[in-house]
Formats: sequence, structure tokens, C-alpha cells
Amino acid sequence: MSRGTKKASHSRLPMIAQAGPVSLWMILFVTIPMLFIIFISFMTRGTFGGVEYTPTLTSYKTLADVIYLNVILKSLRVAVVTTAVCLLLGYPFAYYIARKPADVASRLIMLLMIPLWTNSLMRLNAWMLLFQTNGPVNKALLALGLVEKPVMFLYTDGLVLLGLITNFLPFAVLPMYSSIEKLQNAMLEASADLGAKPSTTFLRVTLPLTFPGIFSAVILTFIPALGTYTITDMLGGGKVLYIGNIIKNQFGTIRNWPLGAALSVLLLLITALLIFIYSRFASIEDMEVM
Amino acid sequence: MKKALSLLIAFVMLFSLGITANAAERKELNIFMWSDYISDDLIANFEDEFGVRVNLSYMNDNADSITKLTAGAGSEYDLIMTCDAYMESLIAGGYLEELDLSQIPNSENINKAYWSEQNQKYCVPYLMNYIYVVYDTERCPIEITCYNDLIRPEMKGQIGSVDGARNLFPIALIALGYDPNSRDENEIKEAYEWLVKYNENVVAYGSTETNIVSGAISCMFTYDGNTAEAMAQLGEDNTLVVAPFTSDPVQLGFDLYVIPKGAQHMDLAYQFLNYICDPEVMAANLVDNPYSCPNDAAVAAASEEYRNGPAFDFDYKTNIFFQEDVGDAITIYDQYYQMLKVG
Repeated sequence: MSRGTKKASHSRLPMIAQAGPVSLWMILFVTIPMLFIIFISFMTRGTFGGVEYTPTLTSYKTLADVIYLNVILKSLRVAVVTTAVCLLLGYPFAYYIARKPADVASRLIMLLMIPLWTNSLMRLNAWMLLFQTNGPVNKALLALGLVEKPVMFLYTDGLVLLGLITNFLPFAVLPMYSSIEKLQNAMLEASADLGAKPSTTFLRVTLPLTFPGIFSAVILTFIPALGTYTITDMLGGGKVLYIGNIIKNQFGTIRNWPLGAALSVLLLLITALLIFIYSRFASIEDMEVM
Repeated sequence: MKKALSLLIAFVMLFSLGITANAAERKELNIFMWSDYISDDLIANFEDEFGVRVNLSYMNDNADSITKLTAGAGSEYDLIMTCDAYMESLIAGGYLEELDLSQIPNSENINKAYWSEQNQKYCVPYLMNYIYVVYDTERCPIEITCYNDLIRPEMKGQIGSVDGARNLFPIALIALGYDPNSRDENEIKEAYEWLVKYNENVVAYGSTETNIVSGAISCMFTYDGNTAEAMAQLGEDNTLVVAPFTSDPVQLGFDLYVIPKGAQHMDLAYQFLNYICDPEVMAANLVDNPYSCPNDAAVAAASEEYRNGPAFDFDYKTNIFFQEDVGDAITIYDQYYQMLKVG
């Protein structure tokens, strides 16, 4: 062994000590399960569920079917709308909080977080109770004479969208808040001093500087919204199916695990693509995750 | 210090002695079944009476118990719940222990019409359920007397339904005049087309009893147990009736217990099976689980309320069909079911 390599291995020790546990954790709980999913996607389905270990491309050929393309497009559309609404509602909200004194801001953040203390199924059930045919919303509408007979809110695309937006809004606000909070007043003042109108300052200074927060908000809402299935299952009544529901069904009632795995791989690729796009605009290290 | 240490060790030893002695006394019975499907009192009484600990684990889907059984569940469970549709495959595959009915004398109470000779060797029926049509006489736009009524345009936005390929396809096949357990791809494809129309009328799959009580639907294709629950919730205001079907048969399914090959506590499994076949025990269980029951003596001993329940008030109880094992054709069903759901 040459002297040089020995030295190099010496200097690597602290690095391994530091990164080792994290890497081990990531390998055990992220990499290996993901590789297993990819592996399963190339296997044959068992008649009663489970997997037979005969390699095949059947699942990927099935994915090429136009019905899956439609589901993916439908899911993407809903995820885009959810994300857009969360950004449009969340940004002004985050801005408002960030410009408040620290103690008020922390209280407002607290208010935002409180609903998350309850189980998400409880929150979904609450929406269902509010909007059911003989629920308070319909009773109020009837009493005010706005409608003549109860409106069927349950199991509609609209209610699913409402469920998605309310569920993901806090995750959009938090990263944007932490970005906006770092924004220095001096920057805005300098912009104004140099003659920029407020709208110009916002578009040319505030928005670009808070972009990492916005992009994190996009990632934190878009990706879960794309893969969610409980919200669509409960509020959509098993009729409004998105890609998350289809994946869940493959592992449940339809018993086609390889196809479920292949769909998950597809979802993974879409996610990776998003992160890749982000990396073209800014460095990953800048991404605000709270 | 030394004294304290030895005292501590002595304590630990004494304590662990107690634990091991206790463990040896209290044997464990491991059961895998649906959740909310057996009364807690029944389990507690059984534990007291026989000095046993019962560990219940729950399945989410019929496929779960099949996965367990085919993977060899004997080391983990002593009793597994499954349904009649899978018995043929499970027996053929040799996944089950053959039963010695002399160890289950109370099984005499079970009506043999619901318990084929083949099945008597391998399973004990627990409860059964009809999957039929129920509607609200005040809100449903039409009277329903056959499956084809469900796809009439008047029924749009009125129906709540159970889910699952092997529950939905049979009614379509019957409506089209085919065998409900068809293995013919063309027939299944036609059934799929029928179900597309059905799907248009369906408001939601699952939660049928909640939806009919809250007024979201006026008609449901569901289990008798769920109907009993909905009717009990409506109480005095109940306007639900079981649809007066004229000729279409309805599905009758069984949930039954099997002993997986190589089970560790066969003796306890037998004790448990005998216990649940006891008329008084099962009658008490029917209060919490108001499903149809194949144990005639238990039904006779059950409460008036159960026996006269409006959910069981229909006259075509013997015009039934069973879900049969369709073998590899299950993948054809799954494929069309997928298309139906994805649309």
C-alpha cells in the first residue's frame, strides 16, 4: 500500500463518521425500498396478489394504454390547479405574516399549524359533514332561499379540490414565509429610492428573491397532491379516481402489484423531472424547506 | 452495595419466574379476520372461560387472507377468516388443515344447506351476507324489481354501491342473462358495458349506509348488515325497504374460519370454533353484528329485534347465487374492473 492512499483513507474517516449514519439511514429506508419498487415493476403479477418472480415488461406496456395517460393528465391538472391556488392564496398570506412583528407572526403561524394537529381523516370527515345533503351548508342555503332543494356537494370534483387546497395550504405558506421573512427591507427601500414603482419592486426584487420559497411551496404541494389518495377516495366517493387511487387499487382490490409499482415509478420520474427543472433555475441548497 | 445488588438480582429472578409461569398458563390463540366483525364481549368471555389470550389481527381486503394462507400462515395464525369464493383453490392448494368435526360438537347447529360436504372438511361458516338492493320508498324515483332497473336513466345520481370486481360483475352478468360466475371474456366484456351505465348512476362506492341516512343517495346495492345499521339509525323515520325482486337472484356470501396448514394451537382453534357455534354465544354476538347467520339454533335464540329486522324482510332468501372460484379468469375481471374505474 502506498503512503498516499493510506493518508487519504485516514482523512476519509471523519467524513464517514459524519455522513455514515445518515447515508445508512437513507440507504435502508429510501434507496432499498425504491429499488425494490423498481424491481417489482418488472415482475409478473400473482393471481391472488403478490408477485411472481418472472421478469416481464407487461406492466410498462399496460401503462402505454391511453386510459392511463388520461388519468395521469387528469391528476396533473388537479395537482396544478391545487398548487396554483395554494400559491395565490398562500403568498399574500405568507407576506402578511412575514411583515408582522415577530411575536404576532409566530402566533399567526401557530394558527396555521393548529389544524394539522388533528388527524387528516378527521378534517376530511368534517368537510363531509358540513357539505352532506342534510348538512349545515345545505340547511343554510335552503334557509336563505338561495336554493330550492339541497345541492349535491359530496363526491364532486369541486369538493375534492377544496379538500386538496385546504390540506396543502399550510405546506405552501411555511416555506414562502421563511423566504419572505429573510427579505431585507433595505433592498425594497433601495429599489424605491432608485425610482421603481411598488409593482416593479415586487416583480423585479421581491419575487426573484423569494423564488426558492415559492419553488419549495410548489414541490411541497404539487408532489403530494399528485400522489394523494385518501382525499380523493373520501371526498370523491371512489368514483373520482386519480393516479394515487389507481396505485392504491393495484395493491388492494385489483391485486396487480407490478402495475402498481410501475405506476409508482412513473410518479417518481415526474417528481425527479420537477427537481431537475428546479436545479436548472437555482441550486438545490437554496431550496427552503421550512 | 453488594447486598443491594444481590437483592435486586433476586427480585429480577423472582419476577421473571412469575412471568414465565404466567406465560405457560395463558396460551395464545392468533386469529386473522375482518375488523369490527365479532363482539368484544365474546372474545373477553372466551378468554376468561378458557384462560386463553386471543390476539386478533385484521385484514383490509379478502386478498389479504389469501396472501397469508398461500404464503403459509400456520406459524403465525391459528384461525384465518376467508370467504366461500376461495375455498376451492385453497383446498386444492393444500393450504388448510382438515377439520375433525367431533371436536366441534356445536357445529351441529349450522344449517347444512349453507355448508357443503366438501367445505365441512375444511371450514366453519361464521356469518353470511346477502348483497341486495335497498331503496327509499319516499325518495327513489322508481320501484326496483330487477338489476336492469338500476341502469335506467331515472336512477342517475341515486345509487350508492359496494365496490369490487367480484361483487359488481355478477349482477351485470345476471341482468344480461349469463352465469354470474362466467369465465367467458366476451360475456365479461358485455357485463363491463352494462356496468359503465350503472357507474353513471352511482354517486359513490362504499359508505352506503352513511350516504342513505344523510340523504345523498336513495338506493343502495349493499350488504344486509349495512342495511340493518342504516335502518336502525333511521329508527321511526325508516322508509327504506329491501327491493321486491321478482326473478333475479341475489348474492349470498359466507365468511368462514379455516385453520391454516401447520397451525400452532389447533386445540385452542377447535375450542374457539366450538364456542362460537354455541347458540347462546352466537345469539349474543348477533346483537353487535346483525348479519345473516347460518347457525339456526342461534337465530332461534336471537333477540326479537334481530329476527324481525326489516333488513331481513324479503321473500327471495333462497333465490341466491354464490361467488365461485373463477380461476385464472380473475385477471380478466380485474382488467375490465380497472377500465370501469379509470373510465
